[in-house]
Amino acid sequence: MRTYILQRFIQMIIVMIVVMLVSFIIVELPPGDFLTTLSEQLTEQNVDPKVIDSTVEMYRARYGLGENWFIRFGKWAWSLMKGDMGYSMQHNRPASELMGERLSLTIWISIATLVFMFVVAVPIGMLSAIKQYSAWDHSFTFLALLGVSVPSFITALVFLLLSVTLLGATTVAGLFSPEYVTAEWSWAKFVDMLKHVWIILFIVGLGDTASTIRVMRARMLDTLGEPYIDTARMKGLSGAKIYFRHALRVAINPIISSIGLRFPQIISGSTIVAIVLTLPLIGPLLLDALLGEDVYLACSILVVLTLALVIGNFLADLALAWLDPRIRFES
Amino acid sequence: MNSPPDTDKVLDIRNLQVSFSSIAGTTRAVNGVSLNVRSGEIVGLVGESGCGKSVTIRSIVGLVPSPPALFEDGEIWLRTRRGMTETLSLYKNMKALRQIRGRDVSMIFQEPMRSVHPMMTIGQQITEGILEHEVVDPAEAYDRTVEMLDLVGLPSPPAQMNRYAHELSGGMRQRALIALALVCHPQLLLADEPTTALDVTIQAQILELIRDLRERMSMSVLLITHNMGVVANLADRISVMYLGRIMETGTVEEIFKEPAHPYTQGLLASMPSLFSQPKTHLQSLRGVVPELAMAPKGCVFADRCPHVMPICDETPPVVELRADHSAACWLYDDVEASQGPDAATAQPSHGGDSTLGDASQRVEVIPLTKTEPAADAAQKKLADSDTDQLQIENVALHYPILRGLLRRQVGTVRAVDGVDLSIRRGETLGLVGESGCGKTSVGRLVTRLVEPSAGRIRFGADGRLEEITHIPQKEMKGVRRSMGMVFQDPLSSLNARMNIRNIVGEPLMLHGMARGSAVDERVGELLEMVGLRAAHQSRFPHAFSGGQRQRIAIARALATEPSFLVADEPVSALDVSVQAQILNLLLTLQQQLNLSMLFIAHDIAVVRHVSDRIAVMYLGKIVELGNAREICVRPVHPYTEALLASIPLPMPGLATLQEMPKGDLPDPANPPTGCRFHTRCPYSQPICEQEEPRLVPFADAVDHFGACHFQDELHLQGVEEIGEIHGSAAAAGGEE
Repeated sequence: MRTYILQRFIQMIIVMIVVMLVSFIIVELPPGDFLTTLSEQLTEQNVDPKVIDSTVEMYRARYGLGENWFIRFGKWAWSLMKGDMGYSMQHNRPASELMGERLSLTIWISIATLVFMFVVAVPIGMLSAIKQYSAWDHSFTFLALLGVSVPSFITALVFLLLSVTLLGATTVAGLFSPEYVTAEWSWAKFVDMLKHVWIILFIVGLGDTASTIRVMRARMLDTLGEPYIDTARMKGLSGAKIYFRHALRVAINPIISSIGLRFPQIISGSTIVAIVLTLPLIGPLLLDALLGEDVYLACSILVVLTLALVIGNFLADLALAWLDPRIRFES
Repeated sequence: MNSPPDTDKVLDIRNLQVSFSSIAGTTRAVNGVSLNVRSGEIVGLVGESGCGKSVTIRSIVGLVPSPPALFEDGEIWLRTRRGMTETLSLYKNMKALRQIRGRDVSMIFQEPMRSVHPMMTIGQQITEGILEHEVVDPAEAYDRTVEMLDLVGLPSPPAQMNRYAHELSGGMRQRALIALALVCHPQLLLADEPTTALDVTIQAQILELIRDLRERMSMSVLLITHNMGVVANLADRISVMYLGRIMETGTVEEIFKEPAHPYTQGLLASMPSLFSQPKTHLQSLRGVVPELAMAPKGCVFADRCPHVMPICDETPPVVELRADHSAACWLYDDVEASQGPDAATAQPSHGGDSTLGDASQRVEVIPLTKTEPAADAAQKKLADSDTDQLQIENVALHYPILRGLLRRQVGTVRAVDGVDLSIRRGETLGLVGESGCGKTSVGRLVTRLVEPSAGRIRFGADGRLEEITHIPQKEMKGVRRSMGMVFQDPLSSLNARMNIRNIVGEPLMLHGMARGSAVDERVGELLEMVGLRAAHQSRFPHAFSGGQRQRIAIARALATEPSFLVADEPVSALDVSVQAQILNLLLTLQQQLNLSMLFIAHDIAVVRHVSDRIAVMYLGKIVELGNAREICVRPVHPYTEALLASIPLPMPGLATLQEMPKGDLPDPANPPTGCRFHTRCPYSQPICEQEEPRLVPFADAVDHFGACHFQDELHLQGVEEIGEIHGSAAAAGGEE
């Protein structure tokens, strides 16, 4: 078990290094850099070309933008390891400052979405399998297919429309009521957020919840058809014991191992929803940074998100190993 | 009808009728089955797959999901701790049914590999059963589980308690499952093909265990199997089932000595036994088990029966031939009245000429016109390589075991470890051994489907032997034209998305032997050669039955007119009657086309039936090599003896070898030192652990080799010798 954890840990570090490199290269790939964007902007504003040149030169010296890409990468990676996320050239603010609250909110909402997905999908999927072809099964099959097929931004738009036209709401979007948006964190602000957050969880998590219901149902059906379930039945066990003690722990396996994969899906899925509902999440910021070729901000966001993903995967693997003796013994 | 049976019966099924409804309509899978099991009795329920055996015994304990199943009629009386109980009526009362399961009646299943929960320890799974039915404290349940594990013969039971399924071999899992089933001392054990998925030596061990536990725990057993040998070995009484009906019921002696129903006779004749005349056609049943919906009216066996009469359109009566022997057949309807109990001896006129003494003997002996190549080749000796089609020398196949982050090599699996073999032109060499012994790897090596790690392979397409050990795949393509291969699973070895014309014709096009309509023509010829219709070219594999698919696979293998055929377990996935048909086909084709053949199988009886010579393989090595019949009469290696003794013969009461090989096949990554068999050998001596015996000629025999230190001293039991002790059969079978 210890070697297994160690192995996973080393793999995690390797993945992080590769991701840092790749994300840096991808952001660097498109022709031009921030300086071209900047000088274009300044030209449009009819700024004196001399001023433009000196400004550009200043930036170039400050960030070593003229130098070789691997030197830039090295500088960036080194400072990142020291905790310095770099400086957003677009916003003229430190990247960490920009990310700060948005990042923690994003991670918080993602985890909450995962929990929501788990708590809703697993019991529904399980019951659908146990009561296969019942009214319960049919209705949730219908709902799940609907949830899988409707994109989350449509759900978000429909939700916006309904709450404005039917409920006459004025503040439908956002994570906070207007009076709390800029306020300091307080108990009242937290409670206000809880009032708003459930609908976001629902919109963001709907697609994943729906597909998880289908996966859980299919897995449970497979597991219930296994010979060892017959063995359990022949012991005289009750239905509940068979379903929970024998079938559930086998059926739930792929759902746990997919948690690591769901995580980035939730973040990218929530980006569109966040744009529609103007939520202060990390997604829109990343999009912005990519469009503006704001290298350091974009890379920092990517790397932090990857770190979250890799840690999520690591935890999922640990959970699997704890659940399944076959994985434990393989190493 | 509705009264409980007498208390002597543990189980009494009366007129059970179970139907399944689907979109296609309703089919009756079990159609009026009556069956009973008395105290302490082992009853066998035999028949080919798809005959409703499993549905019948699963109905006893409510394991048939309903819907889609419909229980239309019948009663199932079971002796429980609360007295005789009708279990069909309990289906609505799950609680009462659950109290019976595991406590009064238990069940073991076909696939031990998949019947143990993968994520719970053995101990947890067994104690769970005790705690469900009895009020005991966990410590006592633990002790009883350990005791039970000991009783079923698992080594060091306390250690097994904490182990998981994947740490146990198939045989050990089945033992654990038997312990699980019997821990609450049920009176009846239902065993659904308990040994089908296991190796022959392990099968023999498990059968022995069931027999032993029946005595020690004084229980009854209802055993389902398709293997007549298994019931002959284990059962007291037998019911033969076909398409949802019981065809014949009787004591094991009566059924095997005087099988009355044509279906029973056919089943017995289809089995290649160790006494049959090798290389002759088995008298197989016509056709295959039809779909239930296609079953004939009246007697369901009518369309395959050799004695079919006009009256068979009506449902046959169940005729009491003796006190404990009945058959559902019109043949005995009139004789019953006139001749009384002696009716059993009245044989159908066609089969009348053969002796009644042993059913397995009643094979149609069709001597092959060609002289046996083995006989004259033996005089020429091995050195005469002109007659050899294939020679392999010291061939090995090693797989590295890679571990850790850096995939370091930590060991080697020696799948094949230095094998010498040769196959003469027109000869069939049988390669036999347990699963994991490397026999399939040998087949893949000689066809160069895997790269040999060492050694030489020489093959002569049509003349001189040429080295093919490391020739590039491009050249190998030319050689492959002379090689055909037939695989074990006819479904997965045929591409489901190609029609038969393309499957069989592909080798022709690949080798540029035919194009366009010439392919159709040749494919048609090939299909007719293997007994299919040429017109079926456009169909896809799923439209054919298992046996037909294997015929297609054979047609494909023979498309390029090869002179050499590798058949890797070609019949082990098939029902007995179909197995006989395919073996007959292979024998005919081999004779017609003068094929050399490497015939790989785990069943030494099947191998003996088709082979001229047999090589016995154990853990990557050949341990014995010789004339097929010779090896079975006078085995020189204890492993061969064990294989022979493990085959359950369709002869009730036959004493098998006293000392069965112990344990499982060792890990091929870490084979035992010295003689690899010494860990399981009953004759093991200190020297066997240290020195590895070489394959050397046995005594003064020209063509018989063994790899045992004591082969000249040991007198091992061959199978015909066992037969002589028994009497009747061997005399006819073992003429030398």
